[in-house]
Amino acid sequence: MSALARGGWLALAAIFALFFLLPVAGLGARALTDGDVASELRADDTWRALRLSLATATLATGLAALLGTPLAYALARSGRGGARLAAALIDLPIVLPPAAAGIALLTVFGRRGYLGEPLEGLGVSLSFTTAAVVAAQLFVAGPYFVRSAYAGFRSADPRYEGVAYTLGLSRWRTFRSVTLPLVRPALAAGAVLCWARALGELGATLLFAGSLPGSTRTAPLAVLNAFESSAGLAGAVSISVVLVVLALGVMLALSRLTQAGGPYR
Amino acid sequence: MTLRAAFATRVGDFGLEIDVAAADELVVLYGPSGSGKTVTLRALAGLQPVERGRIEIGGRVVVDAEAGLHLPPQQRRVGYVVQEPALFPHLDVRRNVLIGVERSPAALARYERLCAMLRIDGLDERRPHQLSGGQGQRVALARALVRPTEALLLDEPFSALDEALREEMRDELLRLRRELGLPILFVTHDLREAHLLADRIAVLDRGRVLQFGRRDEVFRRPGSRRVAELTGVRNIVAGVVEGRRVVVDGLALELPGDRPPPARAGRVDVGVRAERCILRRLDPDAALPPNCFVARVVEDRAFGNAHLLRLEPEGPGPPVLVEVASRPYEVLGVASTPRWVVELPPADLQIMPPGGPPAVP
Repeated sequence: MSALARGGWLALAAIFALFFLLPVAGLGARALTDGDVASELRADDTWRALRLSLATATLATGLAALLGTPLAYALARSGRGGARLAAALIDLPIVLPPAAAGIALLTVFGRRGYLGEPLEGLGVSLSFTTAAVVAAQLFVAGPYFVRSAYAGFRSADPRYEGVAYTLGLSRWRTFRSVTLPLVRPALAAGAVLCWARALGELGATLLFAGSLPGSTRTAPLAVLNAFESSAGLAGAVSISVVLVVLALGVMLALSRLTQAGGPYR
Repeated sequence: MTLRAAFATRVGDFGLEIDVAAADELVVLYGPSGSGKTVTLRALAGLQPVERGRIEIGGRVVVDAEAGLHLPPQQRRVGYVVQEPALFPHLDVRRNVLIGVERSPAALARYERLCAMLRIDGLDERRPHQLSGGQGQRVALARALVRPTEALLLDEPFSALDEALREEMRDELLRLRRELGLPILFVTHDLREAHLLADRIAVLDRGRVLQFGRRDEVFRRPGSRRVAELTGVRNIVAGVVEGRRVVVDGLALELPGDRPPPARAGRVDVGVRAERCILRRLDPDAALPPNCFVARVVEDRAFGNAHLLRLEPEGPGPPVLVEVASRPYEVLGVASTPRWVVELPPADLQIMPPGGPPAVP
């Protein structure tokens, strides 16, 4: 009876694992056997989209780190009310469907948006530019960085900072040479998550930045475009394969960063 | 060098009112958790805002709330050591100690001297997780002392260590106290630790200093029932003062002749430490000496090095808890003898203002 139950568990586990593994294997098999995929992989458009994705995702992650670190620190060091606010602020963009995020960005930064229209008057246009791609990614993926950084700062005992002050270290020096090193693993993990999420961003980008080859067509948009075009599955498969490889790399990096105990144990 | 602090502040709805001072001596802030010991140290270090009052450290006023003076922690010249987390985990021993110091030859020499003094030389390159608990606390002490320091603030620095190490670190601290010549404020909720280390002791409860004085004075003459309870007086009973005697449960106890009689007659609380009560063999033919009554053992708890006996009086007299060390316990044969004469020596009777209902031991 128990052997039977055990077999049942294993079968369920295997079915679910295969559900994930088979499509990935299918992508790989298709890339290796389909001649069209191989030629699509060499196409300029493919690489342009990938380069754009890498550049924008990296820029969005950099901005998230630059702007998100102070925000996460301020939220983490504020009182209980601050913690509630933080949870709401951080989780809203994460649970928001990306398409709705794109619409939200348009209402503010679109050509007729609240800020977009005055900016337009100054000759600055954000929507449907590469900058819009970065903005969309930052909006959707930035919270992943803030969430991880916030958790990191929360777990960094503020008494470290207190002791540092009594040792004569200024607030800024304390932050730089005590607090920041303590949360570096959390910041790095947050950056990797943010970068991965930015790389895969589709909905908000499509609505806010469009899918203009060379300037706003990122790799996920190129997958969508190829799938709907004459190239069909072959074009879509080629870029997807590269994205899978990148995702695997990200996962490996993340598992190294979050190894039990962190770097000081 | 001296430290003087008389201030008030609040944290949320917890109000704190503190008045303590320390010359070059070790002052223990003793009290239950939540009594305000840690907040007091944080206020002295400059990590907790003060609403009213003054703090003076090493002859310098660091807080004068009425004048709007609040020196930041960086300028207070105090060494501050907490139990956990003691050291910065990402820095080795040398960097931990020297983090707030310019790397001058003089500073390095001072570092070497402190390491020798605290017996942590040779550990310079170790990270905190490669140190034993005792070594970690020694490094934290060295770090607190490497800059010009006018007071040392220690917040339960040894309570994360195991018992043997704790003993060792206490000895170390007693040695340091002699060598440093600094006011040391030491926070603990451990009564034995407080007694061992303190020159003077401040008993804190609910944000107030209940009593502040020489250690023996606080332990022998608790100023109130609450101080007696907090300092481990196991027998506290209601009594009535009549001249040089106090009547407790129908038994008249003599008060010490070498002390002036209690200022006011009437209702008081009488405290006697369990370890100050004396058991005498019952001699049915002899009259009972003063301050003695016959009682029967109703409970016997063994704590390894001592027994705690609960005795009920057979005639007049209070129920009492009596502590007997293991050796006399065996020699007297307490285990096989239920009836005893209990003596409450006059010198060990503590007369306190009445507070609350009589405690039933």
